[in-house]
Amino acid sequence: MSSSSATEAREIGNRIVVAGIAAIVLILAIAAVLLFINLPDANAFNMRVERLFVENDNLTSNAEIKLLEILAGSGTAFSDTLASYRFVIFVLLIFATALLVAAVAFLVMLIALNRRMGRIERQGIEVNSLTISRDQKAVYLNDFEFKLTDAAIETLSVLAEARMDDEVLTGAEIEGVISGRNAADCDEAAGATRIKRLRDTLGNQMMSELLVKNIARKGYVLAIDKDVIRMI
Amino acid sequence: MKTLSFSFMALMLSTTIAQAACYADYKAKQDDPLRLHYGVTEVRGDCSVRSAESQLRDRLANDGWQLLNVLGVFDDAGLDERKDSAGEFFLRY
Repeated sequence: MSSSSATEAREIGNRIVVAGIAAIVLILAIAAVLLFINLPDANAFNMRVERLFVENDNLTSNAEIKLLEILAGSGTAFSDTLASYRFVIFVLLIFATALLVAAVAFLVMLIALNRRMGRIERQGIEVNSLTISRDQKAVYLNDFEFKLTDAAIETLSVLAEARMDDEVLTGAEIEGVISGRNAADCDEAAGATRIKRLRDTLGNQMMSELLVKNIARKGYVLAIDKDVIRMI
Repeated sequence: MKTLSFSFMALMLSTTIAQAACYADYKAKQDDPLRLHYGVTEVRGDCSVRSAESQLRDRLANDGWQLLNVLGVFDDAGLDERKDSAGEFFLRY
């Protein structure tokens, strides 16, 4: 139930991220379109001068017409400048889009990381990797190395293989796989003993790594923050 | 037949003579870059703004000019006062 709701939440989160990024891109695309529509086009000044020329019947002398042409020319030069401004603004808009998209992505990543941190804090330890090394008789949980006996390694391997196949083994089945006999002929208690031994060896070492640290030639120390110790 | 065409020519001739010379002043432009000019032209046939427009449009278009408007039509009396303003476009088209 909790895992299904978790995946559901993740799906909803992904949808929100996609929607948010789409909204950002859409808003900035609309802004870009408005920018290109609203800026006066290069011909606006010429049209203005032309209208001035047509509407005033007494603007006919050569000098006046030359002046109007110069006016139109400077307007055109200014509109060229505007076009370059428009390009610069457009580039800035693209930058803004990229930054906003990155910001949203990072925000979501931060939230996800926070949730994961919270889960790790609650669980105490989260296994990110489990490596079984048969020849060194050791198992690596995250960065911790645990030395195990042959029997414990055997039990752990069987459990790991079963886990990879999504199988649940009874004590008798474990004993059967390890001893090579038929599971029906095996005792349930024998398997339970194997599990208990594995738990003992692994559990004791894990506790010693997590809680009681052994500093060579000095002694033992609690490997936890002072503030979390409480006496009742 | 011959007499008919001859009389027709005579008629045409008489109408052109009877009509006083007709001129129009106009404004025209060229795009990219914007160039403007004010000019005076002679109107053939009907002496009206409308006929001046239709005649001018084609003549100006040949040289890449676009007619903006015709200000009005006038006869010989108004020719001199517009000569200076029209400059190189005085009776050019």
